[in-house]
Amino acid sequence: MECREAQDRMSDFRDGTLDTPEAAAVAAHLMGCGECAAVAESLDAVRERLRGLSPAPAPPELLPRVLAAVEAESGTAGAASAPAGAAARRSFLSRFRVPIEAAAAVLLIASVYWYQHAAPPVPGPPPVPTVQAPKTAPRSDVSPDVSPDAAKGSPSVAPLPPTRPKTARDESPAAAKPREWTAADLPSVPAVRASSNSERIVPVAPPAEPESKREEAAGAGAGSPALEGGRGVEAARTREAEPPWVLAAPPSRLHRPLPYGRDVSLNVEPGDRAGVEDRIAAAAIRLGGLVEQIEREGGSGTGGAPGMVRVVLPGAAAAGFLEELGRIGTVPPGGAAEAIDLPAGPRPGTVAYAVRIRVR
Amino acid sequence: METPGGKGQPVDLLVEAFRQGKPGAFEAIVRAHQDRVYSFCARMLSDRDDAFDAAQEVFLSAWRNLAGFRGEAALSTWLLRIAANRCLNRIRRRKVLSEREAPWPEPMGEEGERPAFQPEGGEADRPDRVAETREMGEILTEALSRLDPDSRWMVLLSDVEGFSYAEVAALAEVPVGTVKSRLHRARMSLRRLLSPVA
Repeated sequence: MECREAQDRMSDFRDGTLDTPEAAAVAAHLMGCGECAAVAESLDAVRERLRGLSPAPAPPELLPRVLAAVEAESGTAGAASAPAGAAARRSFLSRFRVPIEAAAAVLLIASVYWYQHAAPPVPGPPPVPTVQAPKTAPRSDVSPDVSPDAAKGSPSVAPLPPTRPKTARDESPAAAKPREWTAADLPSVPAVRASSNSERIVPVAPPAEPESKREEAAGAGAGSPALEGGRGVEAARTREAEPPWVLAAPPSRLHRPLPYGRDVSLNVEPGDRAGVEDRIAAAAIRLGGLVEQIEREGGSGTGGAPGMVRVVLPGAAAAGFLEELGRIGTVPPGGAAEAIDLPAGPRPGTVAYAVRIRVR
Repeated sequence: METPGGKGQPVDLLVEAFRQGKPGAFEAIVRAHQDRVYSFCARMLSDRDDAFDAAQEVFLSAWRNLAGFRGEAALSTWLLRIAANRCLNRIRRRKVLSEREAPWPEPMGEEGERPAFQPEGGEADRPDRVAETREMGEILTEALSRLDPDSRWMVLLSDVEGFSYAEVAALAEVPVGTVKSRLHRARMSLRRLLSPVA
């Protein structure tokens, strides 16, 4: 390597940015060339002195001159940093304006959703007492929930303006007093499961029932003693399908039973009727499930209460169970829902079936 | 090469304070950086009055634009970038309006680039004479003033202020290789100038 080449590469050599062969060539040249070694040494000295060059002190008049210029430009004496700071703050916030607005919208939607689904029914909209009616005497349970005006008549009459609950709370001290919920107000889950078939998620096929009883329940007025038993509740709910207060919060899900399970209708031949409950129970147990309840056929012939078997199965065994039912009898079209959606069982991963046996 | 970090955390706090509109924040920023900015301007411009005016422009520009300062680099780096641009503009304007800067000779040597160093004539300006009479800082400043402006600000930013080659290249809008070759030639010129004292 020539001296000129070596000196041209000296900065790169000292920076360590040469590739290995070139660096080796420069190093070898410096080892053998005293002149270039001296150049390299003085170059290092120059760079070292440049690195150590300390800043000279600024003239003392620089600071007041700068501040005066800033104040003159801002037009606000004594607020050298305020205008630019405020502008910076505006610019800083403006960068987050859209995300903040989006977050506010999401928060608003979430709040409304939460309010609709989780707020306790303090003002007591009409659907609450009617759902709870089967548990206790209807009127005594209803009255604490509604305002005096609403309690005079049927809770479902005369659709009220959406602001009605708030107005009632604001203007009527008696109605504004929130109801104090007690444990007695909360329906127990077993009681609901035993009594209220209409609370099931997918009541695929209505159970066989005398039409007269259904009509009797449907014809009963509000507060009628006919509001007892599951059919009564269903009839009352059907009657009140149109909620009078559309903006009122629904009852908290904590105060409502959490139903689960599906109704399955199983048609069997009259000759094969005997022992069907046991065969269904055995099929469920065979598939790893549990038998929760067996209601034997009541009465005689087809006029009595139909038999019913309630089972809980692992979700994976649901299809197999329906196949087993197909071997025992006939599942009519639409008699069993194919889809398994939650909550279909008492626990995640399970599905419950109430198999109602019909003799056809 | 290490990227200059400025004053680090305290400076960032000052910027935040300025953004929050706290009174006195900008004054504190000027106090923290005025020496560095003024020195850079003085070494670039070789003129006290010009350096004073340039430093004032730098801080006024910073006051106008601190809202857009993203904090990607240290505040000192940002200020020195502004200072480099201001000084180069002044040098170009100065060359156009007057002949205070000596005209550079025609390109000589490689690739038509100007020589990095043009020694001034006269006995009093001889490097050895200078070395005898001045302190090393002044000698360095004097030597730097004899570099052509485009090489001078690169040396100041790279070797004095610690900017990386890539940062200097980005600021000069030239390839990194060009920066390195210019810097090398400038260092060699400084070596020759300072050889009596280095």
